[in-house]
Amino acid sequence: MSKRKGNAADLAPSKKEKKGLGQYILGFFLLLYTLFCALPVVLVFIAAFTDEKAINQNGFSFFPEKWSLAGINSVLRYGSQLMTSYGITIFVTVFGTFLGLLVMSMFAYSISRKEFRLAKFLSVYLLIPMLFNGGQLSGYVVFTSYYHLKDSLWLLILPLCVSTMNVIILRTYIANSIPNELMEAAKIDGAGEYRTFFQITLPLLKPSLAAVGFMMATAYWNDWQNALLYITTDSKKPLQLLLVNIQKSIEFLLNNSNVPASARAAMGGNIPQYSSTMATVLVVIGPIMVVYPFFQKYFVKGLTVGSVKG
Amino acid sequence: MKSFLENTWKHRAHVIMALPVFLILFFIMYVPMAGLVMAFKNYDFSKGIWASPWCGLDNFKFLLASKSTFISITKNTLMYYFIFTILGTFLNVVLAIAIDQFVFKKMAKVMQTLMIIPVFISYAAVQFIVYAFISTDTGILNHTFGMTTRFYSTASLWPLILTIVKIWNSVGYGSVLYMSVLAGIDTELYEAAQIDGANKWKQIWHITLPSLIPMITVMLLLSVGGIMRSDTGLFYQVTRNSGVLYSTTQVIDSYVLNAIFKNSNFGFTAATSFFQSVVGLLMMLFANGMVRKIAPENALF
Repeated sequence: MSKRKGNAADLAPSKKEKKGLGQYILGFFLLLYTLFCALPVVLVFIAAFTDEKAINQNGFSFFPEKWSLAGINSVLRYGSQLMTSYGITIFVTVFGTFLGLLVMSMFAYSISRKEFRLAKFLSVYLLIPMLFNGGQLSGYVVFTSYYHLKDSLWLLILPLCVSTMNVIILRTYIANSIPNELMEAAKIDGAGEYRTFFQITLPLLKPSLAAVGFMMATAYWNDWQNALLYITTDSKKPLQLLLVNIQKSIEFLLNNSNVPASARAAMGGNIPQYSSTMATVLVVIGPIMVVYPFFQKYFVKGLTVGSVKG
Repeated sequence: MKSFLENTWKHRAHVIMALPVFLILFFIMYVPMAGLVMAFKNYDFSKGIWASPWCGLDNFKFLLASKSTFISITKNTLMYYFIFTILGTFLNVVLAIAIDQFVFKKMAKVMQTLMIIPVFISYAAVQFIVYAFISTDTGILNHTFGMTTRFYSTASLWPLILTIVKIWNSVGYGSVLYMSVLAGIDTELYEAAQIDGANKWKQIWHITLPSLIPMITVMLLLSVGGIMRSDTGLFYQVTRNSGVLYSTTQVIDSYVLNAIFKNSNFGFTAATSFFQSVVGLLMMLFANGMVRKIAPENALF
């Protein structure tokens, strides 16, 4: 077995003496790039707590003149829609991710069985949608005029539920990392197919499920396109659609500076302000920021397996 | 045939377990494929796809006749594909090597975590962040440098803006894959090179880069399959779907999305979609064929 890098103990002796000037220059550039990535996110936090007047006068800033809780408060106040949207997004994310993981791992298990002769056909069937697809327009027409699913939560769940790449990741993991003998042994002991799958395969599939599951959950959480295309009722609007709507209403106000005062009044507290908009953004992206570090090691592995199969 | 059926019956549990995905793919992916015949029909919303009259290649003639839109969106799609792929791959590799060479591993880990974060922010949220930087009256850029640039109505600036946003969004994440390759290089190679007197640059040039080349090739080839598709959110959300910017920002995907909302020009749009799907298929087959020749173990099929 050759030595591998990436293991701190291995590389210590040969590299330690090299902490020269070069390393510090390299560190400086890496730090610059890290700031480039992180600062825009930091700005969301700062802007959410900046006084509205300060933004109007001096623009957005990393060092605001005046702090304020008004933005966050106003988000919490027009809360009922936000709470509904949070509920919808959480439901779609959790339900979709679990449904997807369940059906995809069952499929992956089936097509990885060598004795199952239909597996070949199913593999091809799985692959075709990756090569060729109907595109957005015919999807839209079929879903709305034939399935009549307009304004249905199913259209937020099903389109993101199964992806060829994810099934391939799961199949590769089953084929390479779960010894077939385990499944054979379970069968010899009298376990049926379902029991073998649920009690032997599924638990061993956990690392791969975590990777795929996290990627799926993010895709669900961040999906604005299906919501924009299909969802019209307020009570079914997910968070991302709320963000899109906020942007649309800002645009409307900007483009119609002669909106009569009565109309503005009718919109009431819904006239979005800079700080409260940023507070909403913060509320929308917050949960992923919190959860992501815990899943990082899993999806790094999943990414590797998926792109370079077996 | 009979033994095939017998085999299938014997393994009916597998059939049942495969069924949900089979059905979801059928209804979500396969049925819309048939919907592509819209490209050859004079689509009438009240009649539906099948009952609408055939119109042969009229939609495609329309496509070629009104070429300004079609050529512009195709040109933009390809332009951004090339910018993002070439620059993106280059930066992915540079970043992966830089992090790999950095000896303060704990710090590198923290930095990497922060670099990956942007990929998890939806474009619906990203556009507000971009707005905070470049809005005319309240944007950080205009305030810091005392400018009055009207970014949201200056089309020529957007290839640059979108490229920066895309890099911000995806390079940290994209480099993870290359880092996993680098982690697999045998350290003895570096030690041997050191004994032979090779400095850091020479080691990178002769050991690190060559070991990344197979992965770079595969990723580039596979990306060719997606040449006609774009990151729709980037072009639809981040530009605020502003009509003034279309000349440099509208790509096929965002054009189709707009057409759906405006409920207009379905013939033209269907023809564009058809073109997009067919070219996508050909590119995918081409890409996979190339990968098969170079690195068969990485081919998709």
